[in-house]
Amino acid sequence: MLNRLLRPAALLASAGAITLLATACGGGSPATSGNAPAYPALASSPTCSQLRTQNPDLAGKTLTNAINPHTPGYESISVSDPTKYEGFDIDLGEAIGECLGFKVSYLPVAFDAMLPTLQSGQANFIISDIYATKERAASADFITYSKVNDGVLVAAGNPKKLTGIDDSLCGTTTALNKGFVEVPLVDAQSAKCQAAGKPPAQTALFDNNADCVQAILSGRADSYINDVNTVARFVKDQPDKLARATAVTLPYSIGIAVPKGQLPIRNAFTAALTEIQKSGLQTQLSKKWELDESAIEAPSLVTAS
Amino acid sequence: MESFLHYLSMPYLLTGILITLQATALGFFGGFALGLLLAGMALSRNRVVSGVARTYSVIFRGTPLVLQLVFVFTALPHAGVVLSPIMAAGVALAANEATFFAEIFRSAVLGVDKGQTDAARAVGLRPGTVLRRIIGPQAARAAIPAIGSEAVSTMKNSALASIIAVPELTLRSNQLASATFDYFSIFFASGVMYLILTGAITGLQLTIERALDLSRVGRRGRGRPAVPSTVNGASVIETPLATKELTATRKVNGAVSRAEAVGRARVALTINDVHKAFADHEVLRGIDLEIRKGEVVALLGPSGSGKSTLLRLINHLETLDTGKISFDGIEVGYRDAGVPLPEREVARQRVDAGVGMVFQHFNLFGHLTARENVAVPLRWVHRVPKDEALAAADHLLGRVGLSARGHALPRQLSGGQQQRVGIARALAGRPQVLLLDEPTSALDPELVQEVLEVVRSLAVDDGLTMLIATHQLGFARDVADRVVFMADGTVLEQGPPQQVLDNPKHPTAVRFLRAVHTVEV
Repeated sequence: MLNRLLRPAALLASAGAITLLATACGGGSPATSGNAPAYPALASSPTCSQLRTQNPDLAGKTLTNAINPHTPGYESISVSDPTKYEGFDIDLGEAIGECLGFKVSYLPVAFDAMLPTLQSGQANFIISDIYATKERAASADFITYSKVNDGVLVAAGNPKKLTGIDDSLCGTTTALNKGFVEVPLVDAQSAKCQAAGKPPAQTALFDNNADCVQAILSGRADSYINDVNTVARFVKDQPDKLARATAVTLPYSIGIAVPKGQLPIRNAFTAALTEIQKSGLQTQLSKKWELDESAIEAPSLVTAS
Repeated sequence: MESFLHYLSMPYLLTGILITLQATALGFFGGFALGLLLAGMALSRNRVVSGVARTYSVIFRGTPLVLQLVFVFTALPHAGVVLSPIMAAGVALAANEATFFAEIFRSAVLGVDKGQTDAARAVGLRPGTVLRRIIGPQAARAAIPAIGSEAVSTMKNSALASIIAVPELTLRSNQLASATFDYFSIFFASGVMYLILTGAITGLQLTIERALDLSRVGRRGRGRPAVPSTVNGASVIETPLATKELTATRKVNGAVSRAEAVGRARVALTINDVHKAFADHEVLRGIDLEIRKGEVVALLGPSGSGKSTLLRLINHLETLDTGKISFDGIEVGYRDAGVPLPEREVARQRVDAGVGMVFQHFNLFGHLTARENVAVPLRWVHRVPKDEALAAADHLLGRVGLSARGHALPRQLSGGQQQRVGIARALAGRPQVLLLDEPTSALDPELVQEVLEVVRSLAVDDGLTMLIATHQLGFARDVADRVVFMADGTVLEQGPPQQVLDNPKHPTAVRFLRAVHTVEV
């Protein structure tokens, strides 16, 4: 009797043990880049050499970059090797790492989970096309590296005749990621629509850009508003179905998020970024990833105070 | 289609399956273990313990798994607990699933008939053994379908771990879709992968269900060629060996000496001023009785007179309010000073006192064959090796005329056969005193006789001390040395059968006996 009961139980238990064992050994995030330096000139520059001497805590470490890898061109998995991440932000982080002497590992989380992940200490920094706003600076310190230019992604032919974050949005639905800075902007526009007696401008919120784009393709949303290079990339990939309606200038910069008030890492990142810009590497990387409309900006801090 | 097949065999996604399996395994096995603990706590009589379990359930069943995942991943580090994404997912899944497992286990345990516990305690099993051998196997069978569906649900829930960076199937599908814009082929492929995984779990569940299916057990005869059941002349084979004439003769021949012998025998069981109330209802109001070794006492009386309660107090299935019950010095359930003992020691006392019990509704262990039922006290109380115990069980089944039905499950036996197995089980522990609680009341009239014959043979052939609650007046007259008439929780009168049955003095006894006679005639 007992045997008959135990046999399947033992089967289950051993299956469990095997998977648990596998958990202990395997898993983890995609591998970091190879050992050979990708940017030898940068790494051997006097500034970077000096920074490594000044920041012995970073040298030889592996720091974790929290990303929302759903933005081809900025950060996504590599189609040729899905175990690797690629894009402008990925290269920028690796370059800073080479300058300061650390390696980078990645934690792919939802867009609105990036800052909590940084705050919890599960990640050390964020380079993931995130806009440095005062509100977000309550959770992290930002070092800016580029001006924000937004584009409006619509279905091919722009059937709703959208012209930006204005009255043309009234009665339409905009697909956005949870936590996007565009969410309050569209909400504010909606209030204006209703004040003028027009139907509201609605938002449909998702966890990543791919879902937003699907919402447009399936007719559930009329637009998606985000970084103009991101929008351009989506159009380039499906020119028969998608189009870019217009550009919107927002008073923001894109920034690297580091833990609040941790001056050593913040200063080191700022110095490394400055060197990367001075050496022309950031411009090279923008070209490499076809971020044609990016406007490099000298590093400045966005903090809560 | 081509790209769908490409994604279906893509190593990146296949590795994702492995991680999905890991997260599922952590959630399932962790939840299973924690659920067992929670179910045990919830069933505890200690209010603090059960309260803790309930509070846990309220919190973890009442909040979304997504929040729990984010909490473990991003909030716990603030308290110094930093878990890797996969471990965080495992902890959150397990913590969440545990509440559902606990409810599954709890309802499965509560679903096992209370009579099973009574019977297990009565044969002297300790609480742990009752749980492991009797309640556990039956509850487990009942729980398997629900456990299977919980496993499937854990696997699907593991997809939520994608939001805390666990690189499982869903996260990988999402990232791949973002990079390739090949949205539908990818999600179709990963959907098929999930279906294969959940299908495998369902298959495993059905296999286990089939392996444990009791209705298949009888047919397979538990590894032995099935003994052909009594197709022809069933009644001849099934009638116990002791025939009516034989016992009647013995009765006549030994009647005088038997009364004398019983009168001279030492007292086996003393019942002193026993009181028992359930809530406000007073069931027993001062019972005093002395039973001598070898004596057969028939307890008569209307329903609700307290006969069953008295029997259940004697072997401590119920606790005394006041009074004392003693088997030759052993007070089952209490220390010398009347202090209650823990159940595991009570179990040993039942064995030391040598008290067995036969139940109105048989209470055979539903998951065990007839011979396994009879072998229970031998194997798990007296620690007799299995083969020896089963051989002894076969012998006992022979005594009650059921040699041919040893491999049948209780559900495959008639009521009369079940009760005979119940008697054989009670005898297996070699009791000094046998308590029979209306052993024929639940039987169809034509099955009553076969059981009474067995009981009669125990009295005559074995000289067993017996206390029988019964409504069978003829049987009481034939077999009992003494008839005790109870009503409203007291003994109204007692004496030799002829005296009480033919010349009752108390008006209530007169009325009751007249009513029963009318029915019998």
